[in-house]
Amino acid sequence: MIAYRCEDSPECIFTAIYRAYEEKCDPRDTRICLTEDPLLFAEDRPVTVEEEKAEKVLRTLRRRFGEEDLQSLCLCLASPSEDKGQAAYRTIAKGLGRGCRPGHLFDDLADPDVHKAFALARGAGNELHHLYGFLRFQELEGGILYARIGPKNDLTAFLMPHFADRFPEENFLIQDEPRGLCGVHPVGKEWFLVQSGQIFLRAGAEGESIEERGTAPLRQTRERLMFSAGEEEIQELFRCFCRTIAIEERWNLELQRNLLPLRFRGYMTEF
Amino acid sequence: MEYLANGSTRSLMEKLAILSDAAKYDVACTSSGVERQGTGTGVGNCLKMGICHSFSSDGRCISLLKILMTNECIYDCKYCLNRRSNDVPRAIFTPEEICTLTMEFYRRNYIEGLFLSSGIVNSPDCTMELLCRTLALLRGKYRFQGYIHVKAIPGADGELIRRAGFLADRMSVNLELPTAEGLRLLAPNKHRKNILGPMRQIQTGIQVNQNELTVYRHAPRFVSGGQSTQMIIGATQENDYQILKVAESLYRKFELKRVFYSAFVNVNQDASLPALPGGPPLLREHRLYQADFLLRFYGFEAEELLDEERPFFNVLLDPKEDWAVRHLEQFPVEVNKASLEMLLRVPGIGVKSARRIVAARRSAKLDFQDLKKIGVVLKRAVYFITCGGRLMYPLKLEEDAIVRNLTEKEDRIRLGSDGMTYRQMSLFDDASFADGLHKLPLSQVPPDRRRNVRKYDCLPM
Repeated sequence: MIAYRCEDSPECIFTAIYRAYEEKCDPRDTRICLTEDPLLFAEDRPVTVEEEKAEKVLRTLRRRFGEEDLQSLCLCLASPSEDKGQAAYRTIAKGLGRGCRPGHLFDDLADPDVHKAFALARGAGNELHHLYGFLRFQELEGGILYARIGPKNDLTAFLMPHFADRFPEENFLIQDEPRGLCGVHPVGKEWFLVQSGQIFLRAGAEGESIEERGTAPLRQTRERLMFSAGEEEIQELFRCFCRTIAIEERWNLELQRNLLPLRFRGYMTEF
Repeated sequence: MEYLANGSTRSLMEKLAILSDAAKYDVACTSSGVERQGTGTGVGNCLKMGICHSFSSDGRCISLLKILMTNECIYDCKYCLNRRSNDVPRAIFTPEEICTLTMEFYRRNYIEGLFLSSGIVNSPDCTMELLCRTLALLRGKYRFQGYIHVKAIPGADGELIRRAGFLADRMSVNLELPTAEGLRLLAPNKHRKNILGPMRQIQTGIQVNQNELTVYRHAPRFVSGGQSTQMIIGATQENDYQILKVAESLYRKFELKRVFYSAFVNVNQDASLPALPGGPPLLREHRLYQADFLLRFYGFEAEELLDEERPFFNVLLDPKEDWAVRHLEQFPVEVNKASLEMLLRVPGIGVKSARRIVAARRSAKLDFQDLKKIGVVLKRAVYFITCGGRLMYPLKLEEDAIVRNLTEKEDRIRLGSDGMTYRQMSLFDDASFADGLHKLPLSQVPPDRRRNVRKYDCLPM
């Protein structure tokens, strides 16, 4: 048994998969571990991220399984589960082994590993879709939009392209509070991810701009972040809308709770 | 327009409160059916599956900013809160105000777009003109590329409706009541002809536009999200069979994307309308949505689900279960062999799980545990399927026994069939339930059904 010891990032897991193939390991006798728990009779091989190898794996996966299945695999790797690396690795090995066509990677749901990867991807995908809707921006001074999220899965990298496509002319930040991760989209530039500690807001000549260096980390200044002038009023307008749109005769809080779980509400304007 | 000056004394907050309150009975709040990437300028994109942004305390989704342009109305429809003879606070938005609200809400990711309807101010033409002007401003000056759903006002000029169609993603004309007779009774100012006219026009417009698009890929799109309509359920005496037939013909003849059903809420206490002491007929609405999905995605026809002899839905069983127990000769089906069409007819197997079964059985022989992983609801499906020629456990494949197992004992007792003497109470003799079904309040809807009531509003397409 060979155990590849990875850190919890898609790049690292992809690197491990590359190495597993490079070193001609038998998928049935190889594990990708995200923890340090010792395995009996296993040979430990620590893995460090190698961009080039991860990129190659990504390219192969895209070519062999198609964009959609690659997205599912990435979503699977965004979940907090510790088995995700192993499930993804086995799924990929089986898919490559039987030469499956694009869009059919997750067909064999009777297989426990494929099902595991599928279930993780589905969970993360569902939460992603929830966040597309439930994420709330607040306008800060200078017109910067700022959103806080606290999802179970690590979804910031998936949210950024959606909102960058939607708001090409907005400066916005999406901050994953529990993970301390921040997605930044400056107007007219590509979006990028940074650790929250490194992100700073700086007042520029023409309004504020987002920069990677400055005076105060965002996390510590959140209480001091100032809303823009009209922000409170717009928030109140939306709360008013949510109140009046409900039909009293159909009151059904249980249904509301099923469709909009409580864990999202702490981050939402209207609750 | 001079008329617009009247409402200007109210604050934006007051107007929003009045005009969203007035729009809340409209149900068509989906943002699905259009896939449009951002252009790199302006604001907005659209996703095919639609996005729900919030859920209000009645459990309905908030996807679009659902407002009326104005709740002034020259008509006097009996069921409508905004009818001329009601003394309610009136307000009117200016196009600028609607644009500001939409843009500011959209930027903060509160909404997926705008749902704009209106009472009839001055004349249908004048109203439609106002709606058009608002949309043009939003699409033009504000460069909004999100989702827009606009009502076509019955009786408005064809050219105005055409113009709105090029600005909006989805249009709808409300059928209001399933039959022409009901319409005459409750909405004396509306005529069936005026409603079906614009519906046909939009349908033709979409078809013509499809042809244009095949030739010129960048031709402007006309109502690319298709059109929908809605019917009020329980205000008049139509039975479920009639309603379902109307919906079926709307799907076939008018190629609608969706028909929405709205349980009647008696807001006016009008003498010509039924009193609903138990609240709106939510279970009935729920059953109609279930049947509606069976028509569109499961290959069922209205005649299979209901007919002249039994024109109402079963209270205890959903339409698919009901159909299955009446056609036990076709069951059990072998999961590893049955066609996709047959799998779709098994209660507990939905469109997704049926597709997954077909994909998964290529590489492995499926067992009940695998079905569970795939997402089949075995609680319902187990009476109708075999895996490798075997039932999950020994079962009595007989109508009474299956119905007894599919329904909850408490529901059977409450609804007048105690389970032991099930046959005598004759569940399928729906006449005995017909009255009950109309008036069944939410508190009496079986709990596992209640949870689902209403989720159909925001499902894609």
